[in-house]
Amino acid sequence: MMDKMKLIAGIIVFGSIWGFAECIIGPKLSEVGLPSGALMTSIFAIGLMVTSRMFYRQRGMQLGMGLVAGTLRLFNPFGSCVVCSAIAIAAEGLLFELIWYKMSLDLRDLQTDTMRVSMGIISSYVCYVGGYITTQILTPIVSTSGFYLENLLGFIPQILSRGLLAGIIGAVIVPSVLLLKDLNIKIIKDRLYYPTVAAVSLFCWIFVVVNWIILV
Amino acid sequence: MSLSKERIIPIIAICVLLIGSFSSIYVYALNSNFESNEDVIVINNEEYLLEYLFSNIIIRNLYSINASGIALDNIITSINVNCPSCNSYKIIGKDGYSQIVTWENMQNGVLTNEKKVVFSDLPKAFNVKDVVEIEVIHDG
Repeated sequence: MMDKMKLIAGIIVFGSIWGFAECIIGPKLSEVGLPSGALMTSIFAIGLMVTSRMFYRQRGMQLGMGLVAGTLRLFNPFGSCVVCSAIAIAAEGLLFELIWYKMSLDLRDLQTDTMRVSMGIISSYVCYVGGYITTQILTPIVSTSGFYLENLLGFIPQILSRGLLAGIIGAVIVPSVLLLKDLNIKIIKDRLYYPTVAAVSLFCWIFVVVNWIILV
Repeated sequence: MSLSKERIIPIIAICVLLIGSFSSIYVYALNSNFESNEDVIVINNEEYLLEYLFSNIIIRNLYSINASGIALDNIITSINVNCPSCNSYKIIGKDGYSQIVTWENMQNGVLTNEKKVVFSDLPKAFNVKDVVEIEVIHDG
């Protein structure tokens, strides 16, 4: 059984890295004209959630990571609707938990390439589409205009279409991450684990907050 | 007979890929339909040349978001829509993306040279690019 403190530290560090990527790397990808949403979900969100599931073998951890990443997103108040983005990130964590709920924690279900690729496609596509729909619902509600179901329904084909890229990248990311399956996080000594986790988490939070202060 | 995970998960993955692929084909087909009418915009079921709109309607500068273009409320008033403030307005893009906004929002929005509608009082998610139609929705 994983030590609770070690697990909480893991949630914070992985969530912080995810949040850092959403706040700092995502906007840069947009600036150079890349499809940042699909790339962020399939590479960072799914990559980090599968990595954490593989190392820590705990259900609920990925939802926690989503909450940490979403909270960090609140400290980077750029974009159209910060609260909506934060909730969408947390929603991706929740969707991942639901998709992976029936999978064995030791990942013995994912021994074949077909299963790994399939889980990559499903996880990445559903998290991307789910996160996107969450934003499309929340943004009008938070803004003055109000939510119209018609707006969302008209855009559903676009959302489903854009998810294809995320699904295809997910098909590569998940099998790639699972190549590291034999690494065991438990062998890392506490005196190395906690300082490393604290340093990485602090770096992510300080970088995002300082970036906000400088740009504002 | 129950399906094992090894069988059902690849089937779901294939379905997901098919949904994404068919949606992409649908969106591509939708975009192609609009390609021949680049210079025209449909407003309240009537076609207007963009050139006509840009030469006849006041340009508005939205300094807060660094954008300028023809004022959306002026477009509506210039085409004689009854009681503009009584209606909602649906802005529809070439890719099927649409947003319904209020008259107050229209008073803070512009149609830019690039056929993009932007609002100074709404989040970016309400921006619609490659606008092909502005539909007047008669409320109540």
